[in-house]
Formats: sequence, C-alpha cells, structure tokens
Amino acid sequence: MNTRSSTLAYGLLGALPIVGLLALWQAIHLSGIAPPALLPSPAAVFLRFFQQLGDASFLQNVGVTLYRLFVGFFVAAVVGIAAGVVATGSKLFASFLLPLVRVLAPVPKIALYPAFTLTLGYDDASKIALVIADALFPILLATYQGTSAVEPKLAWSARAAGVSPLRTLFTVVLPAALPSVMTGCRIGLVISCIVVFLAEMITSTNGLGHLLMRAARNFQTVDMFVPLIAISILGLLLNSAFNALRRHLLRGFPEEK
Amino acid sequence: MSQAELTSPRIAAEERNALRQSSMISIERVSKYFDTRRDKRHLALSEITLPVTRGEFVSILGPSGCGKSTLLYIVGGFVQPSSGQVLVNDRPVEGPGPDRGPVFQEFALFPWKTVLGNVTYGLDQRGVPKAEAVARARALLAMVSLSGYENFYPKELSGGMKQRVAIARTLAYKPNILLMDEPFGALDAQTRTRLQNDLLKIWDEDRKTVLFVTHSVEEAVFLSDRVVMMSRSPGRIQDIIDIDLPRPRDRASLLLDRRYQDYVVNIERMMDAQTGDHS
Amino acid sequence: MVLRRFLPALPPLLAFAGILAIWELLSLYFGLDGLPPPSVALRQVPVILTDPQSLFDIVDSLRRMAIGIVLALVFAIPVGLWMGRSRFAAAFFNPLLSVIYPVPKAALMPIIMLWLGVGDASKILVIFLGVTLPLIYHSYQGSRAVEEKLLWSAAAMGMQPPARLARIVLPAALPEILVGCRTALVLGLITMVTSEMIARQTGIGNLVFQSLEMGIYDTVYAMIVIIGALGFILDVLFERLRGWLVGWAEPAQSIIVGST
Ligand SMILES: Nc1ncnc2c1ncn2[C@@H]1O[C@H](COP(=O)(O)OP(=O)(O)OP(=O)(O)O)[C@@H](O)[C@H]1O
Ligand SMILES: [Mg+2]
Repeated sequence: MNTRSSTLAYGLLGALPIVGLLALWQAIHLSGIAPPALLPSPAAVFLRFFQQLGDASFLQNVGVTLYRLFVGFFVAAVVGIAAGVVATGSKLFASFLLPLVRVLAPVPKIALYPAFTLTLGYDDASKIALVIADALFPILLATYQGTSAVEPKLAWSARAAGVSPLRTLFTVVLPAALPSVMTGCRIGLVISCIVVFLAEMITSTNGLGHLLMRAARNFQTVDMFVPLIAISILGLLLNSAFNALRRHLLRGFPEEK
Repeated sequence: MSQAELTSPRIAAEERNALRQSSMISIERVSKYFDTRRDKRHLALSEITLPVTRGEFVSILGPSGCGKSTLLYIVGGFVQPSSGQVLVNDRPVEGPGPDRGPVFQEFALFPWKTVLGNVTYGLDQRGVPKAEAVARARALLAMVSLSGYENFYPKELSGGMKQRVAIARTLAYKPNILLMDEPFGALDAQTRTRLQNDLLKIWDEDRKTVLFVTHSVEEAVFLSDRVVMMSRSPGRIQDIIDIDLPRPRDRASLLLDRRYQDYVVNIERMMDAQTGDHS
Repeated sequence: MVLRRFLPALPPLLAFAGILAIWELLSLYFGLDGLPPPSVALRQVPVILTDPQSLFDIVDSLRRMAIGIVLALVFAIPVGLWMGRSRFAAAFFNPLLSVIYPVPKAALMPIIMLWLGVGDASKILVIFLGVTLPLIYHSYQGSRAVEEKLLWSAAAMGMQPPARLARIVLPAALPEILVGCRTALVLGLITMVTSEMIARQTGIGNLVFQSLEMGIYDTVYAMIVIIGALGFILDVLFERLRGWLVGWAEPAQSIIVGST
C-alpha cells in the first residue's frame, strides 16, 4: 500500500467513531427508547443549528460571546507573554513572579468568578476578567519555559553584535521561543472559549452560555444542544485558524514531529 | 623570551605591561570554577595567561573538556571568569561587544529569519539605515559565495552554508577580533577544507585577530601563527608552538612542505603523550 | 537544619502573604461592599470548616471528584497507552478526541441532569468527562515516546502484547502519565466546582452562590479561599507523590527553571 492511500485509509478510520456515534444517537432516537423530550434526533439538532445561523438574535449572542472571548484572550496573551519573557531576562522579577505563579496556577479560577461579579458587576467585565485569569497561566508558563530554554548562543550572537540585553530579550529570545509561546496561546485560546461559555451559563443575560441555560429552564432540549454545538465548532475553528497562523509564523523553524 | 616564561603566573609586572602594549587580547591569570552538585566546585580553567597580538591567528588545541570553549566565552564576555581578567585593547572585558565576533560550532543562526535577515540583524538593531545594511549584507554574502540564497531560511541550507551565513553575520558588524569555537567541527571533510581556504582568504584581506578552537591538528597548523596546546583537569596551557610557515598559505604546496609535516607530527606526538599520562 | 527543610516553602508563603496584602489594599481603597478585606473574610474560614453541613458538602464534593478521577484513570490510561503503540488505535481515536476537545464538559451538566437526574451519577459523569481527555493525551504522548528497543527485547523474551503494555510501556511512560494526572487533578476540581455552580444543587460550588445570593459576602470570599487552597494543596501533595514515584525521572521544575 502506498503512503497516500494509507493516509486516506487512516483518515476514513478516524471518521468511523464520529460517524458511528452520530449513527448510534440517531438509532436510539428512532428506536424510541428515549423520549424526544430527552434526546432529540441529531437531524433535528443540526437543522436547528443551521436555522439559527440565519437568526439575528442568535448571531448577536454569538457576537457577545466572541467579544468577551477575544478581549480576555488578548489581554491574557499580552500580559502572559510579557511577564514570561521578562521573568527569563530578570532573576529579580522571576523571584517575585514564580512563587506567585506557583500559588495561583493550580487555583481553580472559576472560583474567582463570584468575586469578579461582586466587584466588576454581572456584565462583560467580570466574564472578561475570568477569561484573563484562566488563559493567563498557560500562556505565561509556556512563554517562560520556552524563553528560558532558548539556546544561549542565540542571545550571545545578538549581544556580541552590540544589541542591548532588553532588545535581545524581545528580538531574539522571544522569537526563538515562538513555538512554545504559540502552543501556550493555543491552549489559552481554547480555554478562553470554554470558560467564557461557562461563565455565561453561571450568570448572564446574553451570550451562547446564557442561551443554553435559557433552553434548559424551558426544557427545550433541541435548543440546549445548539449553543453547545456552536461553541464547540467555534473552538475547533479558532484552533485550526490558530494552527494555520502558527504554521505561517513558524515557517523558518525545523518541523516538529 | 621563551614560551614557558610567557605562560608563567610569576611574570614580572613591567614585563606584563610591556606585553599588554603590543597585545590586542591579554588573558591574565584567568581561572574558572563551575559549581557542581553537592557543593563541589569543578576547576575548569586554571591560571590561564595568554597575550595575543594584533592581527595574530591563534589556534587552541586540547582534549575534550579542557576548557577551550569556556576560555573563548570568557574572552567574548559571555561568561565571567572566577578570577583573573581579560583585556581587549587594554580595557577589561565586562560583557559582549561588537569588537569581538563569535562563531559557534552549532552556527546559532536565527531560525525565524532568512539568510539576509540573519546577516542584517545586528545592523538593523543598531540603527544602520536599511538600504546600507542590506547592501553590506549582500556584499558579505557574495564574499562567502552565498549570493542568490538571501531569502532562504537556515533550515533550507546545508551545514557548510549555515556556517558561511554565521560568519557573514559576524563580519557584518566589523569586529576586530574573531572568536571561533570549532566553527568547522560539524562539517564533512570536504566542506571543511573549502571553508578553511575561504577563511584564510577573508582573513588575509584585513588580518583580524583570531582565536580559533579546534580538535584538528592539521587545521590548526594550516591556519595559525601560533598553536596553544591545553591539558585538562584543570585546564592549563601546556605548550605554545610558533608556526613559522610563509603566508599566504596554499594548501597543496603546504601539504608537501616538510616543515608543515613536522609541525603536524610533532604536535600530534605531544598530544598523544599527554593523553597517555591520563589513561 | 530545620531552616533548610522549610526554606523551599518560604517563597510560596511570601507570595500568599503578598496576595493578601494586595487584597487588603484594594478593599481599603475601593471600600466596596462586594470586596470585604481579607482580615474579615478569612475569619469565616474556620467557621465554614467547623460547620457540619458545609463540611459535609465539601467532603461530599471531594468524594465525587475522587470517584470521577479514578474512573477516568482506569479508562483513559489504557486507551492512551494503546494509542501510543498502535497506529490503528491512534488513527481511530484522534479525530474523535480533537472534536470533543473544545466542548466545555461542565456545560453538559444540564443535559446530563435531564438524563440521569440530579444525583451523584450526573456529577461523577461530568467530572469523568472533564478529566479523561488530558489523561488520554498525556498517556498517548508518554507511550509514543517509549524506546522501540525496549519493546523488541521484551518481545524477544516472549512477552505478549498486553503484558508488554503493562510491564514495559506503562512504567516507561509513567513520568508523562503523571503530568497528565496532575492536570487531571486540577481540572477535576475545576469541573466539579463549575458544574456545581451551574446545577446549583449541592456541593462547594453551590455553597458559594448560595451565600452570594444571600449577600453574605465574607462567606463567599472565605469559600473562594478554601477552593483556591484546595487546588494548591492537591497540587503540592501530588507533586510529592510524583517525586516519590518517579524520582529517577527529570524533575518537572528543571524544565521550568532551565538555563538562560
Ligand atoms: N555551564 C557549565 N556548568 C558546569 N560545568 C561546565 C559548564 N560549562 C562547562 N563546564 C565544564 O567545564 C569544563 C570545560 O568545558 P568546555 O566546554 O570549555 O570544554 P571544551 O574544551 O570546549 O570541550 P570540547 O572540546 O568537548 O568542546 C568541562 O569539564 C565541562 O564539564
Ligand atoms: Mg567546546
């Protein structure tokens, strides 16, 4: 078997469990074991999903979610990357930052959400704050680990050319650590996606998470699945968009296995 | 003055000053400890004293782990000595500077930059106008026979080409001193001789001061004015041999030259004797 | 000697003190009702921890979390190890896993409650789902990296494939699996708290929002401190266990500290 047809075969193999699960879902629905109020058919769910894509108020809720997600993620990325790089450059800063990270990283950030709602209100700000708190640490840690593992001779080459330590940090050490930084950002992005949805489920008056809770309160099962599918597809899209960006930015780096 | 006196720590003060005046690099009683596990210290370099005159090509030979790289890094200002000091142009080395350009065995190119971007990097950062930086980089790339590869990424080049880029990148900021740590160590024999010839040609143009670490006796003799032999545990200078061969040097005629052959054989004997002591 | 032993604990303690100081300053400066100073909030911590009802809620939450994580371990590690050693298994599971990856697991709570009711089963299932993926992923990475030659020599000794997985691949992949376990532990706690905040039935997460809605803000903050401390303590305990289990492998810190 040549490699191309074997790749195809393995691709089909991978589609098997996904298709199988959908088929199982449809079969359960058809067999009538579960009443439609508990388990709507996948066809009904996806039909509703595509209907909603043309619905202005649904899209508005998607927009609200995306806004919170992106603002939070970008703040987390900027702060996390800057702090991670500076910690590599300055032992003093690292000795402040690392113990803080050690204490705060394993804390379930969602527990801070009530505090955010109390201090920042029930609107966007508290949700953005939660996204920042959750996305910050993976990005910061990946940046710090990546930058502190950079081959010192790269930095030496810049310093020998007369470049200042600070400039070397941002023009050599940070780009050299880009593969690791990008991995941290990708994890942070998916976490942001998940956490904004959860925050909206806990307390909100708009956004995708709120749509799920509203449907749950009214026992509209089909509508409960739609926001879930929407946020998952959003996560997949963002993930693959990010991978494309990553491939472009890392085009000079040797391929990783 | 004999070599033994030169390396002796008890060198008279006036004499040392006299040396300094003619020296581009003056390594003075440099020692380096590394902290190893369990509060032990490892003496990597012990009381190294070595003056290097302007325009001199000096090679350092020695067994693996004797501290050749460490010594070069100290001269480069990348690593601080535990005691002693290095003077460059009569000023103590306090850190890296564009007067000393390193070339590493591992090339250390910036993988996210193209060949051109690698060579112009130092110039860009120091505010040299873009057009001027690019012009200088292109000239250097032509000098190392890499015209046409400006937009390649390092991963798309062979080892020999990578090292040419690294040399061009270092030459771009016009250092007076080149610190080369086994620059051709990772290359195959053929590429290696080509680059040795090229290096000599480049060096002949403006006669930079070169400290060149290598494991190859032939390479050291072929390139150098002096060969410094080091011994290990702790790293010390064992011997210094003047290579009295005419320049410009041509490989083919040198290989047939009796004096060249003698140098190589003698140095190899001395190194064998040294490793013999250890085993 | 004593000093030496406790020295490593000093920076985190200082960090904790620093966080409290910043909190105190913020609350002084803003004077918000919703941000009581830590000196007030922390006084509620012993109150909560001695109240039988809340203590029961907390322990009950932890019990469900433990069950969910153990079930996930039993399921995920063999799957991950198998994927790492078989191209077939990897090709079969990988696409499914990457589709499931961005689904917020705690968000399934309302749907699962529809099916399984409000009892333990739903809560345990959500925690199980929440921690399975990272466990599979890390076991997969660990088993993929196992030296081929180790397996060849085992095969040469006549060891059968399942035995090879258990006796060669599992120990060799253990350091990476334990990294997955560490993630799973924290993630299990997160999923538990989140799903309880969503379902508002019982447990720690529910306690927080109950006090929030009743306006007892110092209790809210005391609960936050307790949950945060739980995360930190579980992580520290696990690091201890990990160091003890795989002292031979590289300590995780070495990656973090590295060389500059
Ligand atoms: N950062 C470091 N920490 C601890 N020990 C070090 C460090 N760098 C070098 N050493 C030790 O110092 C000694 C000299 O090392 P160095 O790399 O200078 O040797 P070398 O002569 O260049 O060897 P080679 O020919 O293999 O390149 C070695 O024993 C090495 O183990
Ligand atoms: Mg070396």
